[in-house]
Amino acid sequence: MDDNGGYVIAGFALTGGVLAAYVAWLGVRLRRARRSGAGTEQPRG
Amino acid sequence: MTSTYSPDGSAHSGGARPGAARVPRWSVLGAATVLALGVQAVLALWVAPADANQGDAQRLMYIHVPAAWLAYLAFTVTAVASVLWLWPRTRSVKWDLVAGASAEVGVVFTALTLALGSLWGRPVWGTWWEWDARLTTTAVLLFLYLGYLALRRTGDSPDERGRRCAIAALIAFADVPVVHFSVTWWETLHQEATVFNPKLETNITGTMAWTLLWSVVAFTILYVYLVRSRTQLAEMQEGLEERELANAIAERIETGESAVTV
Repeated sequence: MDDNGGYVIAGFALTGGVLAAYVAWLGVRLRRARRSGAGTEQPRG
Repeated sequence: MTSTYSPDGSAHSGGARPGAARVPRWSVLGAATVLALGVQAVLALWVAPADANQGDAQRLMYIHVPAAWLAYLAFTVTAVASVLWLWPRTRSVKWDLVAGASAEVGVVFTALTLALGSLWGRPVWGTWWEWDARLTTTAVLLFLYLGYLALRRTGDSPDERGRRCAIAALIAFADVPVVHFSVTWWETLHQEATVFNPKLETNITGTMAWTLLWSVVAFTILYVYLVRSRTQLAEMQEGLEERELANAIAERIETGESAVTV
């Protein structure tokens, strides 16, 4: 990497970080929704 | 900035992303996404040669361009899903949820496009930001869809929300061609498109071209994975809300009946 390598590494790290955070957030929400029984429980009454 | 890319200067410079994102559920699609992004990172950072004019800064093209492509794709899907929701014969709550999921993914990638463009602009333009037509219209696009996502959170019946959001999505989509053609319509600091330019001249060759193509494919697989997961989450939340409403109504009826009985 030349003198601008820092910008490249920052760009890849930012992209990886944002995507990992978004996927993790989605995963947490999906697990929470599954635990709460969404999609399986029937309405009462 | 020049508009062609090559290691020897015959065609000139641009960015991609590492994979490694953890998936909420290990599936074939999830595995394909991680693999595609991993290969993409290796190609972009090590295999593709540095550009003759921009040096290593051009490697940012392999993530900046695919991120911009995904933003276009995501907002196009949102617009199509919104039309399908508005059209009475195809109306289904599923289209509304797909539109919302795709818009959210599009917002993430539009923000990334701007941030990566800024990181690329600093070494090659000497500035983090300019009120250039491409940059400004992209920033407007980001705020239009942030507004769309805010609109989706307003409490209303699914029908009312669906209609309002579908119309808003179509209005916001008008900015997508403006963003794409901004470099043609106005004098801009931003270069013209490397591939989809008015003359349809591909200004990138060899390993760089293949790396860019792979990057676009990898990001597109990622998009499918993200929208699928986000739509699944929205469906579960929608189902949960409906059941909570049904339960609340049932409780009300029970309470009302027992009050009458007492």
